[in-house]
Amino acid sequence: MPTNKLTVSHAPFWHDGDSLFKMNLNILLALLPATIFGIIQFGAPALGVVALSISTAMLWELVMTLMAKKPLTVGDLDSAVIGMIFGVMLPATAPWWLVVVGTFVAVVIGKMIFGGIGANPFNPALIGMAFLMLSWKVMFDFDAAYIHYDFSFTALAPLAALKSQGAAAISDLFPTGKLIMGKQVGAIGSTFGLGLIVGGIYLILRGYIRWEISASFILGIIVTALCFNMAKPEVYGGPAIHLFSGYTLLGAFFLATENSSSPVNKIPMFLYGFFAGVMIILMRNIGVYADGTVLAILLLNLVNPLMDAIRPKALGKEVNHA
Amino acid sequence: MIKRSFFSLNQPRLSYDLLEPDLKEPEVIPIPASLSLLLPEAIDSTKQALIKKGDAVKKGEKLTLYHDSTAYTISPVAGTIHLFDSYSDDFGNVATFIIIKPDLSKSSGDGTVILDPVEEIGFADQFLQKLPGAPPFGLLANDDIKINTIVITCADTDLLSTTSQYVGIKYPEEIKEGANILKRMTRVAKFCITLPEDLKTQVSFDSIQVLKTSNAYPATLPAMIMKNHLNMVLPAGKMPYDMGICFVRAEALVSLARVYKTKAAVFDKIFTLIGKDGTRHRVRATIGTPLSKVFSRFGIHINEQDRIIIGGPMRGFATFTHHHPVLPDMDTVIVQDRDIIPHLSDTPCVNCGKCIRICPANIPVNMLVRYLEADQYEEAADRFDLGSCIECGLCAYVCTARIPLYQYIRLGKHELLTLRANA
Repeated sequence: MPTNKLTVSHAPFWHDGDSLFKMNLNILLALLPATIFGIIQFGAPALGVVALSISTAMLWELVMTLMAKKPLTVGDLDSAVIGMIFGVMLPATAPWWLVVVGTFVAVVIGKMIFGGIGANPFNPALIGMAFLMLSWKVMFDFDAAYIHYDFSFTALAPLAALKSQGAAAISDLFPTGKLIMGKQVGAIGSTFGLGLIVGGIYLILRGYIRWEISASFILGIIVTALCFNMAKPEVYGGPAIHLFSGYTLLGAFFLATENSSSPVNKIPMFLYGFFAGVMIILMRNIGVYADGTVLAILLLNLVNPLMDAIRPKALGKEVNHA
Repeated sequence: MIKRSFFSLNQPRLSYDLLEPDLKEPEVIPIPASLSLLLPEAIDSTKQALIKKGDAVKKGEKLTLYHDSTAYTISPVAGTIHLFDSYSDDFGNVATFIIIKPDLSKSSGDGTVILDPVEEIGFADQFLQKLPGAPPFGLLANDDIKINTIVITCADTDLLSTTSQYVGIKYPEEIKEGANILKRMTRVAKFCITLPEDLKTQVSFDSIQVLKTSNAYPATLPAMIMKNHLNMVLPAGKMPYDMGICFVRAEALVSLARVYKTKAAVFDKIFTLIGKDGTRHRVRATIGTPLSKVFSRFGIHINEQDRIIIGGPMRGFATFTHHHPVLPDMDTVIVQDRDIIPHLSDTPCVNCGKCIRICPANIPVNMLVRYLEADQYEEAADRFDLGSCIECGLCAYVCTARIPLYQYIRLGKHELLTLRANA
């Protein structure tokens, strides 16, 4: 009797069905509300920037894997996520070469040369962003970027206005409700706070990002901003303007939570998120940048391995006290 | 297969299956035309074997390979030895399988070995190790190991199986009797019995302390029972018997009670069979029955690339042949269709932290796997708690990158033992 060849492998024989593709697809989905709002608000150029960013990010990974003769990994959508996050952090008027250079730095230097998915010590999208911000600072002046637009709301970038004029002067210009509903000038995907919050909560409920990081990040922003605000209310803005403008919410739900560059243990997650929030406000209030989100999170990425060494004792592990 | 729920902020919960309220009687598989037995000793061609092809064996006869062998098996039928050859398991451990053709004319009377059981651990070690339920007499008879607590398991240790619960609920009297025999043999004072807390039952076990185990996997694994019920932490790299705890299947005690009652060895193993569509059958078959006979009894067709799992979805092993025999310690057999076999990948860890959140032993699996992938086993054990793993398999179950984490861990433990043995 001919016997069939059976599949033989080691336990476990079950899997919960999750995959990198599903995880990344969900992150893309969660970012969609804010992105679509940005495209409606800033028009076709915004769509162009986002589309170009996603496609070039995926192309760079494809080129790199082909050159390195590695298995093609572009199908896991990791580069698409990098491209999308990168794209929505740009102003809608960003020229094409800026997008292409930025995604090159993000995907090739931020991810591929470290060994591809999972090996990047920093958030790749932020690497690309930091590179562009240091090289072409003028491109990220949101007031200049939208000079030819005609908005029905205050056409001033809130954080830049806060930095240059002080909290007292702009107190009536940016009501919190309008900030949340996206009535502000900023990057394509960073203006619609409600959409970002909905997307973030979706990812938290699905278990694709770690709530500890997002929650402590927001707490860090609120606590630090409140301290500054109470000390000098006429100079430093309150928690609301800091939370709902700039890259803050994008950072809380999409940037700081990037898997590979953030901690996984409980206490380190809280520390990481909290100090990222603290650093952002410090940079905004004391530093030279109007929005320090990019550099603050990169800085915390740097200390992540150190923090993540704080972990619970394993079962039955003997600890030798010196 | 239990999939991830749509909302999974919390850890996915895998629950043990509970016994159905109206107990189904097992389907009895008749003694087949040939049986295969596994003898845990490698064939050594330089020695003269005690058995050869064509030898007549009696029911209950002890079979050993060589004069100085300690490993043995017991023939469950009267018949002739048809063949014996080498077998190797999934870790490359070599054993011998013996195929016996039963002689049905000798089914009673002179074809059966009459045991004269004495209540001594040495006797049990010599003759009763292969009883259904695989009682750990080798361990209990070892003078170097001091056992002070025996835990009888009526709660199944892996998912889907209900075999242990069935035996526990169906034969409490025989379990108590078997426990008494074991108590007199070993002089162990403390006996406990595990029972799922959600199982509704009126069964009482008299003086045996009942440990009500949680329904959430992996609460019935030995290390978790010790931690949650016996207030002992299993030190990394140690086995429960190092701490004086011995785990015994309820079925082993039932078999023991029957041996002392009937003065003859028993060979009927009860197990749970789960078909491709998830239907559960309870089966009673003679030890050594090829699984192919069981499958044909229930109309389960095995196709190319299907998977036959022995021992449960999280901790079992896959066999390469559908003629694999029914073994004394086999509680569950699962047939998995090739279309639902999950695919694994060689993607590196993306650090999503799901394994960290689910690991019951607090192992930094994300760091551990990086060292295991690079064959750094000593480092993995010293810095990243390889030895603490209680082998539940949950990390590989949840891994988003589909890394075979548990497989890496088992390989790492195996390699580490080899390294240290050769050092």
